[in-house]
Amino acid sequence: MSSTDTYSSRSPLGAHAPRQQRTGSTLPFSDERHLLAYQWLVDETYLLDAQDYQAWLGLLSDDIHYLMPVRVTTALGAGFDVAPGMAHFDEDKYSLSRRVARFATEHAWTEDPPSRMRHHLSNVRTFATEDPDHLVVDSAVLLFRNRGDVRESALISAGREDLLRRTADGWRLARRTILVDESVLRMQNLAIFL
Amino acid sequence: MPDQSAVLDDVRRGMIPAHIYNDAEVFALERERLFSRSWLFVAHESEIPQPGDYAVRRVLDDSFIVARDEQGEVRVMFNMCLHRGMQVCRAELGNASHFRCPYHGWSYRNDGRLVGLPFHQDAYGGEAGFRRKGQTLLPAPALDSYNGLIFINLDAQAPPLRDYLGDFTFYLDYYTKQSESGIELRGPQRWRIKANWKIGAENFAGDMYHTPQTHTSVVEIGLFREPKAAKRKDGATYWAGAGGGTTYKLPPGTVDERLAYVGYPFEMVERMKQMWSPEQLRVVGEDGFMISAASVFPNLSFVHNWPRVADSDDVLPFISIRQWQPISENETEVLSWFAVDAEAPEQFKKLSYKAYLMCFGSTGMFEQDDVENWVSLTSTAAGSMARRLRLNSRMGLLDDDTEVTPALPPEQFAGPGVARTGYSEANQRELLRRWADHLEQPAGDGAVAR
Repeated sequence: MSSTDTYSSRSPLGAHAPRQQRTGSTLPFSDERHLLAYQWLVDETYLLDAQDYQAWLGLLSDDIHYLMPVRVTTALGAGFDVAPGMAHFDEDKYSLSRRVARFATEHAWTEDPPSRMRHHLSNVRTFATEDPDHLVVDSAVLLFRNRGDVRESALISAGREDLLRRTADGWRLARRTILVDESVLRMQNLAIFL
Repeated sequence: MPDQSAVLDDVRRGMIPAHIYNDAEVFALERERLFSRSWLFVAHESEIPQPGDYAVRRVLDDSFIVARDEQGEVRVMFNMCLHRGMQVCRAELGNASHFRCPYHGWSYRNDGRLVGLPFHQDAYGGEAGFRRKGQTLLPAPALDSYNGLIFINLDAQAPPLRDYLGDFTFYLDYYTKQSESGIELRGPQRWRIKANWKIGAENFAGDMYHTPQTHTSVVEIGLFREPKAAKRKDGATYWAGAGGGTTYKLPPGTVDERLAYVGYPFEMVERMKQMWSPEQLRVVGEDGFMISAASVFPNLSFVHNWPRVADSDDVLPFISIRQWQPISENETEVLSWFAVDAEAPEQFKKLSYKAYLMCFGSTGMFEQDDVENWVSLTSTAAGSMARRLRLNSRMGLLDDDTEVTPALPPEQFAGPGVARTGYSEANQRELLRRWADHLEQPAGDGAVAR
């Protein structure tokens, strides 16, 4: 499943998503392309933790497809594990820009006061594609989020598959598929990014 | 169980003891007296279109399989093996001709009939020991549907769904019958919020007053042109039968122009004009009101809005159906579906889905701020001070109970029930009045009024 990127291509709003796929096996951890991709992801988590979303938006390609399907529990062999035609995020640059713009207003109450967040990043591996300007990167992310002083903290665990693209201005995220590990989220909202 | 009559009296006069939003004893009463005999939404027929399709849904702690059997009939069956009580279906959705219990292998057809019982002869002595014939998974005590919305009732003596919904069906049609084919649902997104279930139901039933404040940000970023305070105030709220909702006042125009104003393409408008009654068309075309949020007692809500989904002046309408499924007195599972007319053009369906995702659901920019409020309210309702505080829910009423704004006469609002323009908490009071009526009536004496 992860090697064919069916989630993005099957998504109702994924028609224009970049289609580059991984080729071959994991790049050696000493490979410069892996080191580059890994650093890109680490740097990104610091932006997300700090809610520096304007800077984060600048790291996304104009044709980005940012997808977080709704996971469902199905029988082994059912052939699917996401809700058909439904996602938590199914975003393009415009809708992401509106979300970021909202956080920049003085009236996005859900993040004022802001959450304390830590995106724990691990299990990073990188693949080449047929195009030297594109890399596919797998990673795991565990988001810890805490609000106020009496509420219980919330966690989201997810796997991600990213498509990174080399541009004149540096590497940009062109596609992200987030496979959350819960069918029922235990978080009050997704006023965050993964 | 302590006497709740003082609490119920306060609720009825619109002074809500704050602790009802986080009180284990109140929740126990709701379980015993309200959810035990209300019609509760479980699924829409479009979620299980083919024979064998099923979805598993809960009513509080009870798990039900909502399945379409081989004859095409919708069945709702308690998901518990007759033998040792295992869940016979542990997936959330799929397609199956049979459900086989993993414990001892009893198996059931998708209409609930027990058909497989290993070693029936050796272990039970055949039919003489255990009569297999006629055994089925326990069916939901009552099952009924309206426009494809499947409801169950844990009270077998409950009045028919139509009687329960009453005149609210007039408004339900706007959301669920825009063409002969009706709506199709996608989802649901599901997530848990640390909020009492009643808060969402009240909010969607009638809280036009919160829109300009809570949702300031979505206007500021150009997503939605309507919720400015002045615009929201010109809308009407209505209550009819088992539900009530809010509307926006549209700019002058014909029914065609007004449906186009909220983004419906010509062909969809043509179908709506064929489907809706003259009165239903009058509310939009002549009275100028467009439905927005609504709730059906106790915990099912609807929303219809028309945001911008791209950097242009065009707006796109979307519909969401949502259920506030109680987990406890201070936790709710939200099930939020995207709904769209089945005959809508494919491009419309895509953009309407996009509009939904931007506004409502787990990532929706409206919903994010709503939930923050509701979690905060629920948390503060738990303590001893909340027992001393009665929340004023009397908006729209003077001290002597006369109304600030009189009900609209039929020539200004063609729909059934009581409608009025401007801000008021009449609908929230209606919802909680029904809540109080249920909680007052002891369990076990059959269906309650309304």
